[in-house]
Amino acid sequence: MSKLGMVFDLKACIGCNACVVACKQENSVPDGIFFTRTLSYEYGEYPNVKRVYIPTICNHCEDAPCEKVCPSGATYTRADGIVMVDRDKCIGCSSCAVACPYDMRTMLDKSALEKGLFGTGELTPFEKQGYGRYTPGTSLKCDFCSQRVDAGLKPACVATCPTNARVFGDLDDPNSEPSVLIRKRGGRQPLPEKNTKPKVYYVE
Amino acid sequence: MTQNSTNAVGNSFKLGYRFQSYWGTSMARAFFAAEVGTGTFLVSLYFDYLLGMILGLALAGTLKPFFHLSHMGVPAKAWRAMLRPDRSWVSRGGISMVLLVGFGALHIANRSIGLDKTLGLDPQVGEMVRYVAIAAGLVVICYQGMAMSASESFTLWASPLVPVASFCYALTAGALSLLAIGWADLGAEPQAVLVKFLESMLLLDLVIVAGLLIHARSKSKGGAFSVNLLMRGELSGQFRLVAVFLGLLVPVALVAYGGTQRLFVAAAVVAFLVGFYTLRTLLFKAAVYEPITHDLAGSIGLARSR
Repeated sequence: MSKLGMVFDLKACIGCNACVVACKQENSVPDGIFFTRTLSYEYGEYPNVKRVYIPTICNHCEDAPCEKVCPSGATYTRADGIVMVDRDKCIGCSSCAVACPYDMRTMLDKSALEKGLFGTGELTPFEKQGYGRYTPGTSLKCDFCSQRVDAGLKPACVATCPTNARVFGDLDDPNSEPSVLIRKRGGRQPLPEKNTKPKVYYVE
Repeated sequence: MTQNSTNAVGNSFKLGYRFQSYWGTSMARAFFAAEVGTGTFLVSLYFDYLLGMILGLALAGTLKPFFHLSHMGVPAKAWRAMLRPDRSWVSRGGISMVLLVGFGALHIANRSIGLDKTLGLDPQVGEMVRYVAIAAGLVVICYQGMAMSASESFTLWASPLVPVASFCYALTAGALSLLAIGWADLGAEPQAVLVKFLESMLLLDLVIVAGLLIHARSKSKGGAFSVNLLMRGELSGQFRLVAVFLGLLVPVALVAYGGTQRLFVAAAVVAFLVGFYTLRTLLFKAAVYEPITHDLAGSIGLARSR
């Protein structure tokens, strides 16, 4: 059994948001919804001001609060550790969205798919081929591009990152790239005080 | 420009507080209707006042499901909400609500037309129906707070005082509503008991609200952010004037000094319900997600400040 996870290298991230675009493209993510973001944070006092980019994504927590609160059993964890949503079971109650401390759940508006990217009611060919995977009114989240993972590929955001700031692999394997990175550079989890055991780590 | 302290950042790509917007007006109305309706049912049941039971159950049994369904993304699959009572408070609440409506209606029927005698049943069956209705009602007035406090996302909600607040506000609303509905029928002694009960409950509600704020402010920066919004920020007008002053202090004064006059009681009911509804909506509006790497020093190793 594997435990798939991701490491973000904050020194490598340049905030280009190519990952965001790749995610949108791979998953046909509807307008206004992001499964991953690269947040910017500025700190310090003039003239010693610095900016850091902090990529964020669903942390696929081992103790996922979104899964615990789901009243319909729509949220589940695969054997490889990816937290998924079964859209046929989701009732759109938003319990998962308020339970996720990282705000990484999104509810798909009932009319979001009808309006389309341009808000004209006319869908582009790209939208037509991609929107079939979504059910209006249900919860959406990153699934580490499970369709790519199943085909032996890396998630789109990882594959597209020009600076290798995103490293994906099996955290149970001590010799995997993310495990080595976490060990050597002291990987830290986001909001560890929430006790969700995220499978996403940050290194500096 | 520097940004040592994080602020509300909306949906932007900046690090900061993000308001929860997933549970909005519909959910607030559903919670409010359930707590007022079930509170009225339970207090009326205690005083064996049939009209109060009917009105309370009708309020909880119609408006709560209506607002929940209007909130839900896929209302046609609403039945699925009851599939996970082992882990989800939403499921437990859904099941309790069904039991409350079913057994509550049976109790009302039994109380009004003597259903057990008509059907030739043992009187203990009627008692059992009554106890199940009470138990389900108690779960309904607590579970909404439990569903909120189970979420670690928002410090404002993640407090054991949230379900206590649900419970106490529901009973206060129930007692006030019963006093207003049954003014002509209850008699002097139950009225006096209710007035004494209300004086204590309204003060207790005030203490609980204060406790909620103190707990949230001391537990995390996100909690302090929410409290600041309620006490000094853009929500302070609604919170201080409507939820606290109109919703708690005015009813206490009206009940304490005019509890024997119907006009004062009616005014207290209106003031309390307006304040209660405002508090319900404000608890949703003021909840913020902590920045994903809130304490940058602690979470991901960046220096706290330079």
